[in-house]
Amino acid sequence: MLALVPGMGEAVYFRHNISWRSAIPPSELATVAQARAWGENVIWVDARPEDEFARDHVPGALSLNEDRWNELLPQFLASWAPGRKIVVYCSSLSCNASREIARRLRKEAQLPDVFVLEGGWEAWLKQNR
Amino acid sequence: MKTHILAFTLSISVCFAARAELKFDKTELELHPTPADKQAVGHFTYQNTGKQPVHLKSVKASCGCTTAQTQKDEVPPGEKGEITATFNIGDRTGTQVKTVTVETDDAANPRTVLTLKTIIPQLLEVTPTFVFWKQGEKPDPKAITVKVGKEFTVNHIKVTSSSPDYQTKVEETGKGEFKIDVQPKDTNSLTASTLTIQPEDSQKVFYATARITNAPTAPAAPVAPKGPVAPTTPAGQTH
Repeated sequence: MLALVPGMGEAVYFRHNISWRSAIPPSELATVAQARAWGENVIWVDARPEDEFARDHVPGALSLNEDRWNELLPQFLASWAPGRKIVVYCSSLSCNASREIARRLRKEAQLPDVFVLEGGWEAWLKQNR
Repeated sequence: MKTHILAFTLSISVCFAARAELKFDKTELELHPTPADKQAVGHFTYQNTGKQPVHLKSVKASCGCTTAQTQKDEVPPGEKGEITATFNIGDRTGTQVKTVTVETDDAANPRTVLTLKTIIPQLLEVTPTFVFWKQGEKPDPKAITVKVGKEFTVNHIKVTSSSPDYQTKVEETGKGEFKIDVQPKDTNSLTASTLTIQPEDSQKVFYATARITNAPTAPAAPVAPKGPVAPTTPAGQTH
């Protein structure tokens, strides 16, 4: 019983560090290597705020965020064609923006092959800069 | 030995008595903005119930859509204050949970996470928001379903196509649902249209996109529909 005390204490102390959301299913994630292997067949979607997108982004990426979803979605759809894969990223593993954008593209626009980039923008930077 | 134990006990007691303590009335707030609201604002009130001043070292929101402001950096003993969290709704839908992390020099409680839960009312749910035809495909009509949110009543909707190349027909299917049939005149050229869906007696506007796409996997030559925010000449049919 005593052995459980430190663990319980840690669980209480770090309770706010635990994500309240469930993890993204592996089938909805893509690594940087996977996305790069898809080459021209992939559309990169930057879900970060527009000022961050303006500073830097994956070459060719389109900005699509929930601040201006109604305005930006038609611009994104203009680049989409059947068979193209969509990879959405935001600024880190902990952010929810890419997950939300991916969810809306799947559920509302009913697009197939929508993935969230594992490790986000930082992972892309690490492997490309 | 007894003196050591007494000194130790006294020092612990003094530490506890003199400590700073920032107590929040609530660390979780639930907000219910109206469909017209652009922002949802939460006020997290607190009081320093300790005997030492508390210094707010940082106040950080979990995402760019939320800002957090504090009235002061130092909270004297007994003083009250609040942290204001402003969530920009933008085009978000559903339930949104954002957090604000407050770091202080209160050794007993250096970090507090404040949670702002915003329930965004959804007047209409449009599914799908995108219909397409492959170039050369038979131009059969495709359906878009519009569901009215449980807490709202909408008897009619108006649908406008930004392009005369697409026709729309609205049918009320009952139980607060509408069906919009969208049909292109032909699928020979890469055309696109923004469909504007507006409930009667409401300024709130919803959008869907209709497009003729090019062949699968070929790099797309983008054909942007006429803008949804300020559609140019709405030449299509309205209902």
